[in-house]
Amino acid sequence: MMPAQVAAPDGVLLILALMLPSIGLLAIFVLGHSRPERIALPVLAANLAVALIVALQVGHSGQAATYRLGGWLPPLGITLRADGLSAALIAMAALILFVVAIYARGNFASKAGGSESRQPMVFWTLLLGLSTALNTVFLAQDLFSLFVALELLTFSAVPLVCLEGSRETLRAALRYLLFALAGSVLYLIGVALLYGAYGTLDIASLHQVTRADRATSIALGLMIAGLMAKAALFPLHLWLPPAHAGAPAPASAVLSALVVKAPFFLILRLWFDVAPQPQPVIAGTMLAALGAASILVCSVLALRQARLKLMVAYSTVAQVGYLFLVFPLVMGSEAAVPWASIGWTGGVLQLVSHAFAKASMFLAAGLIAEAMGHDRIDDLGGAAEAVPISIAAFALAGLSLMGLPPAGGFVAKVMLLTAAVVSANWWIAATILAGGLLAAGYVFRVIGRAFADPAGGAPPPKAVARSRELAVLSLAGVALLLGFLPLQPFAYLGIGQGGMP
Amino acid sequence: MTASGLLIASGLAVPLGMSLACFWPGVRERALGWIWAAPIPALLAALFARGGGIVMSPEPLRLTLALDDVGAMLLGGAALLWSAAGFYAATYLRGQPGTGRFAVWWLLTLAGSLGTFMVADMTSFYLAFSVASLSAYGLVSFETTARAKRAGDVYMALALLGEAFILLAFVILALGVPIGNPLIREAVAALPSSPLLAPALILLVLGFGLKMGLAPLHVWMPLAHPVAPMPASAALSGIIVKAGVIGLMRFLPLDAGLPGWGGGLVALGLFTAFYAVAVGITQQQVKTVLAYSTVSQMGVVAAVLGAGMAAGAPGTALLAAFYALHHLLVKGALFLGVGIVAGSAPRHRILIVLAMGVLALSLAGLPLTSGALAKYAAKPLFGDGLAAALATLSAVGSTLLMLHFLRLLREMPAADPDAAPEAGILLPWAIVALASLVMPWILFQPVAGYALADLFEAKALWTAIWPLLLGGVLAIALFRIGRALPQVPEGDVIVLAGTLWPLVQATGRQIETADRWLRQWPVASAMLIVIAISFALAL
Amino acid sequence: MSAPTLYGLCAAALVGIGLFGLILHPTPLRKVISFNLVGCGAFLFFGIAARRGAGAGFAGDPIPQALVITGIVVAFAATALAVALILRMLEAGASTVDAKPLPPDDLSP
Repeated sequence: MMPAQVAAPDGVLLILALMLPSIGLLAIFVLGHSRPERIALPVLAANLAVALIVALQVGHSGQAATYRLGGWLPPLGITLRADGLSAALIAMAALILFVVAIYARGNFASKAGGSESRQPMVFWTLLLGLSTALNTVFLAQDLFSLFVALELLTFSAVPLVCLEGSRETLRAALRYLLFALAGSVLYLIGVALLYGAYGTLDIASLHQVTRADRATSIALGLMIAGLMAKAALFPLHLWLPPAHAGAPAPASAVLSALVVKAPFFLILRLWFDVAPQPQPVIAGTMLAALGAASILVCSVLALRQARLKLMVAYSTVAQVGYLFLVFPLVMGSEAAVPWASIGWTGGVLQLVSHAFAKASMFLAAGLIAEAMGHDRIDDLGGAAEAVPISIAAFALAGLSLMGLPPAGGFVAKVMLLTAAVVSANWWIAATILAGGLLAAGYVFRVIGRAFADPAGGAPPPKAVARSRELAVLSLAGVALLLGFLPLQPFAYLGIGQGGMP
Repeated sequence: MTASGLLIASGLAVPLGMSLACFWPGVRERALGWIWAAPIPALLAALFARGGGIVMSPEPLRLTLALDDVGAMLLGGAALLWSAAGFYAATYLRGQPGTGRFAVWWLLTLAGSLGTFMVADMTSFYLAFSVASLSAYGLVSFETTARAKRAGDVYMALALLGEAFILLAFVILALGVPIGNPLIREAVAALPSSPLLAPALILLVLGFGLKMGLAPLHVWMPLAHPVAPMPASAALSGIIVKAGVIGLMRFLPLDAGLPGWGGGLVALGLFTAFYAVAVGITQQQVKTVLAYSTVSQMGVVAAVLGAGMAAGAPGTALLAAFYALHHLLVKGALFLGVGIVAGSAPRHRILIVLAMGVLALSLAGLPLTSGALAKYAAKPLFGDGLAAALATLSAVGSTLLMLHFLRLLREMPAADPDAAPEAGILLPWAIVALASLVMPWILFQPVAGYALADLFEAKALWTAIWPLLLGGVLAIALFRIGRALPQVPEGDVIVLAGTLWPLVQATGRQIETADRWLRQWPVASAMLIVIAISFALAL
Repeated sequence: MSAPTLYGLCAAALVGIGLFGLILHPTPLRKVISFNLVGCGAFLFFGIAARRGAGAGFAGDPIPQALVITGIVVAFAATALAVALILRMLEAGASTVDAKPLPPDDLSP
């Protein structure tokens, strides 16, 4: 490899995407005991700027940006690489984290002149930790670095669940941690097997050498199952509802919107870049079947929840199910390469639009609960009067989940449906449509209650800051804007996919 | 960008802008007084911008508006009725709580429904159709009674189901054209040669038929139309069902000549026409009878479209649109009129009930009314066979149903003995009623291609009159034995669906139980191992 | 029996024992220890890979050793976090963390 490429200027930004949040995290420990948000907010803003510049550069050059740490080549060195998909995802993560941070000033702003307090301190450092971990997951190129990144993600996410410190949330956090660890350890065994078989963990190198033999199958099976546990795919979702529903709203938003997407992203990479080609149809169908079960079962469960946050949490499990429908759709398409197929694009768009919609929905649910003093769906009467912007944001985000136009979820759903029809997977088409109907059911249930008259004797709703409501609305707005993307594979997401070094 | 294009765009932009303006509470509280103005640009567009069009966004999105003859005819009628009903609503709902909310839903529904007549590309059509369909929920469930809530829930569930059918149909349609967002006519042109023609047609008829109320998917109409406030009922029954009509007109390959599919649609339409009459004559609520009459009339429209598709006859859409326009205005006037009758003392009613009689029998084809014109224009499509005979007989059914309606109207409990109808509700009703009488005469010749003089021939008059006479005789028989008829509940077969509800609930509970079991640690972690082993074997 | 095979069997046994504990032991602390057992099994697999010198044909491949060290640090961090959570639960009033299993249904946060 030419040294000139090692020092390519766009590559430096990738290391910055990893370093910035970590430096911010350390800076809070060193400098900012009393006002952690004063450090975290600018750092997240800078992180957003870096992510956007990387995304623009990748789009501009039409090539993946690469950085090799210390100039060492794989398998000894560690490579960071942003192709079109990774660049889009780090931009998405950075934007959501930034908006969530703006919102979270209302929850975790430390009091002026006050001494260090535990909750804000923990929240802001972990938010920066999450940012580092997510950027690493999206940029790292070898399976072991990805393992470390996933662990970092889990360790940042788990304490966010129990910020409140109550026994129930601690228990939810512990359950989350233990199940995630079970998943990680399966993944780690898979990594060991792959290393034993091929002597490398670099994805690009593995791409060229993997063969369909026993060791590879077992390794991939263990890794995919482990990642599924972390992505909370049905029936491995036991930890998600209590964890996501118990966390404070900004934490839930990040957990549901971003954290569960990271393991899915890895499954995507394992499937398309590591698994020997062509991937067996039966395995793809199994992935989609679990996804379909997730959609149907967890949508019904969401419909039956009494608490708003639990409803949104179950909806996350259902929506993650849509992502897993991608595998047989891509295999059944006529496109020459997966990323040129409409199913792959639809899956990625579903991931992104769900991230924005779900972040908005959890934040809105948080504001609704703050205003009303509870989050029992049946008693939400009057919420539309008390927090109209939050309800509007909730409804707009709901449009995306239901897959109604003009939301991003609609475009994603149409793409997935098209791919399902083209590949004659009618059962997938039916599942997508049924999932949309069920989602409409649970979203309208909330909206309908919010517009009802307030119950007699209910305490008057508290006011919430307008800026926080607008932050929520802006996320829903992004989910809506995604609906104006054209219904065809995006060239951007294919950048750097085929030409792996 | 032409002036006509801008006018068409303003037809959509003005109501949408007004609904956005309702974000400000001050505007929202006063909006009810202004909703009559929202459809005026669309009305002007229908009158002066026919043949115009505008591309709202460039490739590859290309959201496109275009106003052809079919669209202009329905757009004009719909805009007129929306405006009149809006004016009526300002008086009718004055002083009631929640009028701001009502105005918002009204404006959104209005924008969506007018949009369906103007858009030319598939994405925009789906968007407009969805907005109209979903916002109408706010009108259906405006009254906070348990009856309205149930009607709203059923409406919403079925509307979403219809959306799902249509979406899948659109996906199949769009496959025929290798670009992101095809124009409707490009996609439909490619449909007859598609290997997926059969599922596409079935899904289209299911989706749009649900909106039109084709049996057995009509069940929401007799629930939803009567519970809305009177002007909203007029809009729902007159205009919103036309979103389904325009959908079938735009998306069925009408000139492809598909006898089998066309014949099927004729059969479905005529079955609906008679079935709705049979159920309608057992109803005792005025508005419910009118709702069943809408179901029956939409069955006739579907039959017209089916006959045209079977023959591949050019101009079918225009004839069906003419029929739909007649129904739109007449049904709108009837609903508005019921509100006037209900609110006025018997001595003020006589003239109005008389006028309502003419309007009602117009639906059955009373000579020289819009109904007679519409039926005469559509008749040749059916040919001379069984379908033609049944289509003529459907007028007998309509007569019967309308006489039943008039009897109920006359017997409506009297309001305050001195109450005289207010000008604010009388005027819009009179305008719509007058338009229903006049407008078809203007359009008849260009649409049907016959001279007006043909209508006055003895044969034509007799064809229109004998079903009325037969219907009259049957009505006398009905009034004699009416009490002996079974009382069919509103929404007829939905009652059967109601018996399945406990089963649905039980399934939900079982899923919850299963979920609780699966979320136990040993079960879930054992599942993890099972999944890992399965994938190791499968990969 | 060659040394790598023996190590492999040991690793498999560690993983098996660990998984058994992870699935069936009701108490959190034992689950944490079981997780560490599985982790040790995984590290042993890396050791075997190093011994077999799969990478670049070395007699003893150094990379897996670096990976194992990193892995141990990660496992240590995970254990510390889990133990900290268990301690917090004790403080929060769950007096019998060690004896009481996680309830199957704890959806009420």
